Amino acid sequence: MTQTATDLVTVTIDERSVQVPKGTGIVETAASAGIEIPVFCYEPRLGAPVGACRMCLVEVAGMPKLQAGCTLTAQDGMIVKTARSSELAAEGQNSTLEFILVNHPLDCPVCDKGGECPLQDLTFRYGPGNTRMTFPKRTFEKPIPISPLIALDRERCILCYRCTRFSESVAEDGQLVAINRGAQSVIATFEDEPYKGHFSGNVTELCPVGALTSTQYRFEARPWEIQNVPTVCGLCPVGCNTAATTREGKVKRIISRNHPEVDEGWLCDKGRFAFDHLHARDRITTPLRKAGPRRFEQVSWEDALDQAETLLRDGGASTVTALSGNESVEEAYALAKLMRQGLSANSAVLPEEVPDALDSYRAPLSALRDAKTIAVYCDEPVVERAPVVELWLKAARRKGATITYGAPEGPVDALVTDQPGITFGAQNVYYLPRTPNGRGVTDAWSAAGDGEPVDGKPRVVVISGDEAATDPAVRAMAAEAEIVIGIGMFQESFRGIADLVLPGTSYLERDGTTINLEGRLQRQRRAVLAPVPDVLAWLAKLAERFGVEVSPHSSVVFDEISGQCFGGISYADIGERAELPPPAARRAETLEPGSNPEPGSGIGLRLVAYRPLFSGPAVERTPELQFQRPGGDLQISRADAKARGIRHGQTVTVSSNGTSVELRAQIARDLAAGTVRVAATDAGDLHAIVEVKS
Amino acid sequence: MGTEVEKIVLAGTDDRDLTKLAEYEAVGGYKALPKARAMTPQEVTEELITSELRGRGGAFFPTGRKWSFVPSKEQIPKPHYLVVNADESEPGSFKDNEIISRVPHRFIEGCLITAHAIDSKHVFVYIRGEYSGPYEILVNALEELKDRPEIRGDVTIVVHRGAGAYICGEETALLESLEGKRGQPRSKPPFPAISGLYASPTVVNNVETITTVPPIIAMGGAEYAKLGVPNTRGTRVVSLSGNVVNGGNYEIAPGMTVRAIIDELGGGIPDGRELKAVVPGGSSTVILTKDEIDVGYDFDSLGQLKTAMGSAGIVVLDDRCCIVQLGIRFSEFYEHESCGKCTPCREGTRWLTAILRKLEDGRATQADLDLLLDVCDRINGKCLCPLGDSDAIIIASYVAKFRDEFIAHIEEGGCPFGGESSLDHVLAPIAMHTHSPVAEVPA
Amino acid sequence: MSLYDAIQEVRAIYPEDSESAVLPALRLAQGEYGWLSPDALREVADALETTPAYCKSVASFYDQFHLAPIGEHLVEVCTNVSCAVVGAQRVVEAFEGELGCHAGETSADGKVTLRTVECLGGCGWATIVAVDHHYRTHVKADDVPAIVQELQGVVETHGD
Ligand SMILES: Cc1cc2nc3c(=O)[nH]c(=O)nc-3n(C[C@H](O)[C@H](O)[C@H](O)COP(=O)(O)O)c2cc1C
Ligand code: SF4
Ligand code: FES
Repeated sequence: MTQTATDLVTVTIDERSVQVPKGTGIVETAASAGIEIPVFCYEPRLGAPVGACRMCLVEVAGMPKLQAGCTLTAQDGMIVKTARSSELAAEGQNSTLEFILVNHPLDCPVCDKGGECPLQDLTFRYGPGNTRMTFPKRTFEKPIPISPLIALDRERCILCYRCTRFSESVAEDGQLVAINRGAQSVIATFEDEPYKGHFSGNVTELCPVGALTSTQYRFEARPWEIQNVPTVCGLCPVGCNTAATTREGKVKRIISRNHPEVDEGWLCDKGRFAFDHLHARDRITTPLRKAGPRRFEQVSWEDALDQAETLLRDGGASTVTALSGNESVEEAYALAKLMRQGLSANSAVLPEEVPDALDSYRAPLSALRDAKTIAVYCDEPVVERAPVVELWLKAARRKGATITYGAPEGPVDALVTDQPGITFGAQNVYYLPRTPNGRGVTDAWSAAGDGEPVDGKPRVVVISGDEAATDPAVRAMAAEAEIVIGIGMFQESFRGIADLVLPGTSYLERDGTTINLEGRLQRQRRAVLAPVPDVLAWLAKLAERFGVEVSPHSSVVFDEISGQCFGGISYADIGERAELPPPAARRAETLEPGSNPEPGSGIGLRLVAYRPLFSGPAVERTPELQFQRPGGDLQISRADAKARGIRHGQTVTVSSNGTSVELRAQIARDLAAGTVRVAATDAGDLHAIVEVKS
Repeated sequence: MGTEVEKIVLAGTDDRDLTKLAEYEAVGGYKALPKARAMTPQEVTEELITSELRGRGGAFFPTGRKWSFVPSKEQIPKPHYLVVNADESEPGSFKDNEIISRVPHRFIEGCLITAHAIDSKHVFVYIRGEYSGPYEILVNALEELKDRPEIRGDVTIVVHRGAGAYICGEETALLESLEGKRGQPRSKPPFPAISGLYASPTVVNNVETITTVPPIIAMGGAEYAKLGVPNTRGTRVVSLSGNVVNGGNYEIAPGMTVRAIIDELGGGIPDGRELKAVVPGGSSTVILTKDEIDVGYDFDSLGQLKTAMGSAGIVVLDDRCCIVQLGIRFSEFYEHESCGKCTPCREGTRWLTAILRKLEDGRATQADLDLLLDVCDRINGKCLCPLGDSDAIIIASYVAKFRDEFIAHIEEGGCPFGGESSLDHVLAPIAMHTHSPVAEVPA
Repeated sequence: MSLYDAIQEVRAIYPEDSESAVLPALRLAQGEYGWLSPDALREVADALETTPAYCKSVASFYDQFHLAPIGEHLVEVCTNVSCAVVGAQRVVEAFEGELGCHAGETSADGKVTLRTVECLGGCGWATIVAVDHHYRTHVKADDVPAIVQELQGVVETHGD
């Protein structure tokens, strides 16, 4: 007899009867009856429940012992009593809290978790009034850094194992573990080495007490003094939903806002911690004019706009605009309108082209987890380009999906790729763009005009964004031009190349929209006021001088293009958790199926030098993130390693055409044979085909 | 010595060295195997159900029924595993040590028959790391089968060594450990029969249980079920230790009284001392006073006294044993062996030790004794696995049966034995930092 | 055979995606180096393509793995109840006297580490003392000097 997942069963919880699908957890079943069962260790996103903390004890008719609500599942006719109606269950929960408090310090007044701490709340509601424990509590050296980003206060740890389960079964990085046994168990990294990994910061949000805290946030604020501004991360094409916690006009931390289709509540460490770039020492706070080969001088806004107008008129239609893909749709549109309508300067260096045809292969990222067969066809590691996508892939594998790397041999349910416009016949295609809003920026540019670029060498180049300004190709082009106008946040990005720089803002300082890799239009909200005027505000003024009307309000700008680009949706309708439009109707096949790159000849391997996640202007300006920057590793497939007798962890020599580099071999599962990868900073003068020897 | 029953598990060991394949075959060894293989797996399982054999690891679960829970390969298309629990670490138990050391081939034959019964090709024997002797004997015995393909069939037997953790005897912790993890119990369901080793259908059985299988197949389940008493059939190998003249393992007929085991098999109490108490089935079982030992050694009789055969480790305690110190020493054991996963066990066992110490040191009041019992109550029934519960249950039983002695510790401001107890100042491992000492855990 | 090769051999016994070889690999490494130093843990981790933190997490759970150096010989005295009631503590103290160190420590000459352990599963033959993992049964305090001499003697004949 097989039961289908939709079989409903009736369960009675505290005399309320509810119907839920058979097998639903009792914690969820109770919740659907409006009854809360308190939990500590239970966190469905961490995989199967473990039943460790014993906070969720309930009484079940016919079972002699109390049961853990988190591991128990709904069966038809089950009668459950929670602490609300069962003395036994109440006693059980009270016991658990008493045992937890046996070792937990009562330092709530100085604890960062105070006021938003489940242990504090549950003790208040279910706990013992006073302590009967008369022997000394465990003491530890406290707090200890487990990385420059995270502090660990072992005395406060209640050993719910959420953090270690995250490390083991979500991030699968095997870095944060429990050591020792029994009451001596502690959470630790190896030999006090820092917890290095793309997702380490999530443990600070998972910890139900104040044991794992963010070093950036420690002692920075109390929960009642802060505001959480719902926004969307602007540092990679995933666009995780976040909240920026602010106090007195400053961002103090970034936490997740769990969009179940996009990020499931996880953030990468770049998105979580790199907000420090807002306070960079070389932050541009006034317009700057070149005053020497490596020197700027400040100029007034009036002068700056005057000069910009003069330079742009000078450049005229041949002016080229280089966009970074970090702009909001509105910023990009305003700039594009100025350039295209005001100057007829239709020439742009766009961050990337995303074929519209991909819209018909669109699916939420969460669908990746449910795919049975997935092909990952990427030169760069997924995690470096779109980190949270890697977590969805891992979740899919844990669920039993077959994941192949390189070109798949047969049809697959889903394709993840960093090559635009290939499908390999997959139903769902996830193209990973290089930039956070490349697609939105490209759309905005097209929407602002349809004139053709003029030929010829540009006299003037406009560089929008620090990422563009630090891109070697853009810099090469800028070096050829007579005049360079920059828009950006950091002096270093423009020093030596720009003649005039207008201050830019961060995604945390603006209102606007972006389009993520799924094609989801999301709204960013201004968390804090920038130390400089809004980009839209001064672009509006500058545009006016060219007779172009641009609104300083992003909502108005958005409405202007929504009809053309976003099906006429209104700014307000995007919502805090944006929906993904359904896939577009599939038109005649316009995308390539795709094929494997030519393998390296003979013993050579194709070298991919990837841009690490922990790089770029924002990361460079966050001191606590520096330890995360990769270096010294060579990723090699198991097959290639085996063929060369190379072991995991061994030092190998990578060479091509006379240059060679020593690197540590890392056998990578997510790599097709024939290709090796190094961080761009390690690639040195290596060519595209290398030899690897142990 | 005394009145052992006609041996089944250890049969033939009195006059032969059955560690040798030839000797084992000479007493009819490896004859049950072809007989079993000629039967269908279901028939073998039926035979075990008929025999009424129940698990010898402690929980006493009917063996044939356990096997019958393994789903067919059509239902769950994954390999089936047989995992034999040779972790034997319960204080007072050392029978599996002797079984593997004396009749390794009977044990292996049991593995092969059981593998057939559950349609498995993979047997893992999880043997506690400290048992180097039995490990070598077992490995040698397997070595002897290298060129006997007709015996081995297409079954692989892997002997996997533990590394010192009592909790790995709990079947799900054992599976975690065998999977290369910290040995922490899993919550059940799912039960191993459905999702055990590598999330595949798995049967976990004790060494003695498995070693009993070949004789059952040889004599027939019905014949085996005639032995013993209702609910406790066949024979049991009991481990006798403590204050007894002849400690050792004895194969007995269930129902024999505890007194007879101690006096007739064990030769009584040495040094002219008097019996005080008996731990009947390993440290985790409720204690018996000297007045309770006319009880039969079987499931029902011991059950009436709210205790159990457990892993059949009988620990005899004479009148020099301070019961509070007994509580401390066992509680220290559970504290040391708590895996640290669930809160009540991790924190509660440590708390129990602390309160008991306070009693022993004469710093306790009546309120502490009440607290001790209350903490037992608060642990019991709330833990993830039986380890923590066991500590609470036995300590509560010590107080219930020896309350006067606890009161004396309070009233006399210290131990009435005045340093003369047989358990005085025993150094338990928990008092030393045997791991990397990161935690300051005050006693 | 190198430690790496020995680990690969044991790894091949278990299913490919499992971590089952961790315990045997740690045992091999400890056999090679005497204890599981951070470097030994790194070596095991690399050989199994897992992390040193994972290896340490597992190793520190089990009493038989040493995360600090021990002497050339290991003496483990069971002090659980069955052994204790017939004099295990006096055996411990005799060792302490002969070796000049406390249980949990190593003798000053680095030759013998002494520790007490939980039930070794030989209760009926108490007191059980495991000397370099091999059980001595019925050990009495009086037997201790001879055992210690034997250990020191064995060390001498090895010469180094
Ligand atoms: C803390 C704890 C320790 C255990 N230790 C052992 C053991 O060392 N050997 C054993 O066979 N069973 C032990 N068990 C029982 C096992 O969980 C399991 O019931 C048994 O191995 C099943 O085998 P059986 O049915 O043949 O008895 C232990 C149980 C618990 C809770
Ligand atoms: S009862 Fe003890 S041993 Fe069992 S799961 Fe809980 S902590 Fe671990
Ligand atoms: S929430 Fe159920 S045991 Fe922790």
